Amino acid sequence: MSDQNVPNDGRFVRLYDHFKREWQIYVLLLPMIIWFSVFLYKPMYGLQIAFKDYSIFRGIAASPWIGFEHFQTLLGSDQFMRALRNTFMISMLSLCFGFPMPIILALMFNEVTNQLFKRTAQTIVYLPHFISTVIIAGIVITAFSPTAGVVNTVLEWLGFEPIYFLIKPEWFRPIFIGSGIWQEAGFSSIVFLAAIAGVNPSLYESAVVDGASRWQMIWKITLPSILPTIIIMLIIRIGNLLEVGFELIIVLYQPATYETADVINTYIYRQGVQGAQYDLAAAAGLFNAVIAFVLVMTANTISKRYSRTSLW
Amino acid sequence: MSGVDLSNIVKKYGAFQVVHGIDLTVAEKEFVVLVGPSGCGKSTTLRMIAGLEEITAGELSIDGRRMNRVAPKDRDVAMVFQNYALYPHLNVADNMAFGLRIRKMPKAEIKTTIDDVAGILGLTEYLDRRPADLSGGQRQRVAMGRAIVRHPKVFLFDEPLSNLDAKLRTQMRAEIKRLHKRLGVTSIYVTHDQVEAMTLADRIVVMNDGRIEQIGTPMELFNNPANTFVAGFLGSPPMNQVKGVLTAMGAKIGDTEIKIDGVTAADIGRAVTVGIRPEHVALKAGQGTSPLPIDLDLVEPLGSEALLHARFGDIEMVFKAETHGDIGHLSGVTDIHVDASLVMLFDGETGQALNLGG
Repeated sequence: MSDQNVPNDGRFVRLYDHFKREWQIYVLLLPMIIWFSVFLYKPMYGLQIAFKDYSIFRGIAASPWIGFEHFQTLLGSDQFMRALRNTFMISMLSLCFGFPMPIILALMFNEVTNQLFKRTAQTIVYLPHFISTVIIAGIVITAFSPTAGVVNTVLEWLGFEPIYFLIKPEWFRPIFIGSGIWQEAGFSSIVFLAAIAGVNPSLYESAVVDGASRWQMIWKITLPSILPTIIIMLIIRIGNLLEVGFELIIVLYQPATYETADVINTYIYRQGVQGAQYDLAAAAGLFNAVIAFVLVMTANTISKRYSRTSLW
Repeated sequence: MSGVDLSNIVKKYGAFQVVHGIDLTVAEKEFVVLVGPSGCGKSTTLRMIAGLEEITAGELSIDGRRMNRVAPKDRDVAMVFQNYALYPHLNVADNMAFGLRIRKMPKAEIKTTIDDVAGILGLTEYLDRRPADLSGGQRQRVAMGRAIVRHPKVFLFDEPLSNLDAKLRTQMRAEIKRLHKRLGVTSIYVTHDQVEAMTLADRIVVMNDGRIEQIGTPMELFNNPANTFVAGFLGSPPMNQVKGVLTAMGAKIGDTEIKIDGVTAADIGRAVTVGIRPEHVALKAGQGTSPLPIDLDLVEPLGSEALLHARFGDIEMVFKAETHGDIGHLSGVTDIHVDASLVMLFDGETGQALNLGG
C-alpha cells in the first residue's frame, strides 16, 4: 500500500475520534460548562463598566470609556483604602486562626476511639455550618448583648462591667473570626478527616512496633501524610483571601465599627447597590479579583517549587 | 534465650473465634514459617506476637518473659509488613532511622548503624531517595533494613514478598535466607505461598481454620504429612488425592489396584484416601510400580519437565513427567505408573495419615 493510501491520522481526525469515543464524558461535563458560561463568563461582559462612565439609561455599550479613572478614585478614597486594609487584616487573622482549626479538629476526631462519642461530637461541630448566616448573626448578637447576653452575664458574675461588644471596633474582628471558626471549622474538618482516613494503617502499626507514642504518630505520620491536602486547601484559601464572609459582616457591622469591620465587599455593596455607583463598585470588584488571582498564582507557584504539591 | 513461646493462644473478635488455642515453641535463631490459606489465622497469630492484636486467652512469652500485656515497643520485636509500611515523606535513611530516633539513640550511632545495614542490603546509594522513587524490591529491602537496624530479638515477617513479581520474589527469598544465616535472629514468617515456606523455613507450621495442622521441617512435612490438608497444601502441583479402599493387595481406587505392603487383615475394607504426589510417577513400568489408566487431557510444558493434566475416572489428576527436550512423546500417554512405595494413605473419614503395620 502506498503512503497516499494511508488514512489521514492528523490532529483533527484524532480529536474527532476522541470525541466520538468519549462523548458521554463531555455530556456529563455540559451542565457545568453551561453553568459557568451563564453565571460566570457572561457577566464578565459587564466588567467593562469598571472602565466606563456607566449610566443605566445609556446601557453598557453606549457608556463612554474613561480608562482607569474609577481605580484612581478608589485608590484616593480613604473609605476604600480602609476597606482594603480591613479585608487584609480580617483575612490574615482568619487564615492564622481559622485555617489550623479544622486540621486540629480532624486530628482530635481521629484520636477518639469511642465511636458514639466521636459521631455525636462530629454532628455537633458540623451543625453550625447548616445554619443560615442571618441566624448565626442573631445568635452572636444575642450572645454578646450587653443586657441579656450570656457573655456579659458571665462577665458580671466574675465582677466585670458589661461590654457592648458589637459597637466597639476593637471587638469586631475577634467576634467575627471566632464566630466564623465556630460555624465552619467542623464542616471544613471533613476534608482533612477524609485525608487521614487515606493514610495507610500499616504506617501506624509499624510506628507502634518502633515505639512511637500517639503524639509522635500525629507529628511524624499523620501530619506529613495529609500535608498535600493541607497545602491544596491552603492555596484555595489564599485564593479566597479577599472573599471575607460578606453576609455575616453586613449583618453584624454598623457605622460605629466601620473602622475595623468595613471590607471591600461591604464597600462595594454600599457604593454599588445603595449608592447606585455601579461602575465604581465594578472597579472595586475587579481590583479584588485581580489581587485574588495574583495571590493564588503566587501560592501555587511557591507550593509547587517547595512541596511538589500544587493545584495545577 | 530469644525464643518465642505460644501456649494455648486464643483470639476472638466478639463471639467469632479465629485462633483456637495454638501451642508453638520457636527456638532461638530458628526460622519458623506459618503457612496456610487466607483466613487461617496466621497473620492474626503474628500480630498477637507483635502486640498489634490483643491476646484473648493463653500465654505468650518472648525470651522467657510473659508478653501478653507488654506494649509492642517493649517486646523487642521488629516487623516487616506486606505493603512495606514505609513513610512516604521520609527518605530511605530517615525511614530506617525512624525507630532509632524514637528510642533516642545518639545521632552518630544512628548514622553508623544505618550505613552498616544499608551496606548489607545494598542500599547505600539509595539512602537519599524517597520510597516513591524506589522499585518494589528496593522498598522491600528498606522495610527489612528498618527492622534490622533495631537489632531486635525477634523478626516478624507478614507476607513480605506478596507484592513482588515472581522473579523478584525468588531473588528476595534468597536474600532473606542469606540474611537470616548472617544475623541469626529468631524469625517468624507468615506466608500463604508454600514454596516460600519450603525454601525459607527451618520448621514450617501449617495452619488451617485457626488451628495448627502440623509442625515440622519442610522435608518432614513433605514426606510425612499428618493429614490430607497438609498433604494437599505442600507441594506444587499439590498431591493427587483419590478415595479408595484397602484390600489384601494394597489400595483399590476405582477398578485399579495399587500394590502396597503392610495391609493387615484388620485393615482390609477400610475406606482411605490415596495420596499420589505428581512427581512420584513414571511413564514406563518399573520395579514396584502399579499402572494407573488415565485419559490425558492437557500437557503443559515447563521446560525440563511437563505437567500432565489427566482424568482418572471422574477425578482430575496432575502428574509431572520429564520432557528430555521434547513433549511429543507425552501426547500418547494412556497409563501412568505409580511408585507404590511413595504412595501415601490417609483415613477415609478423618483424613489423618495411616501408618500401615506401624
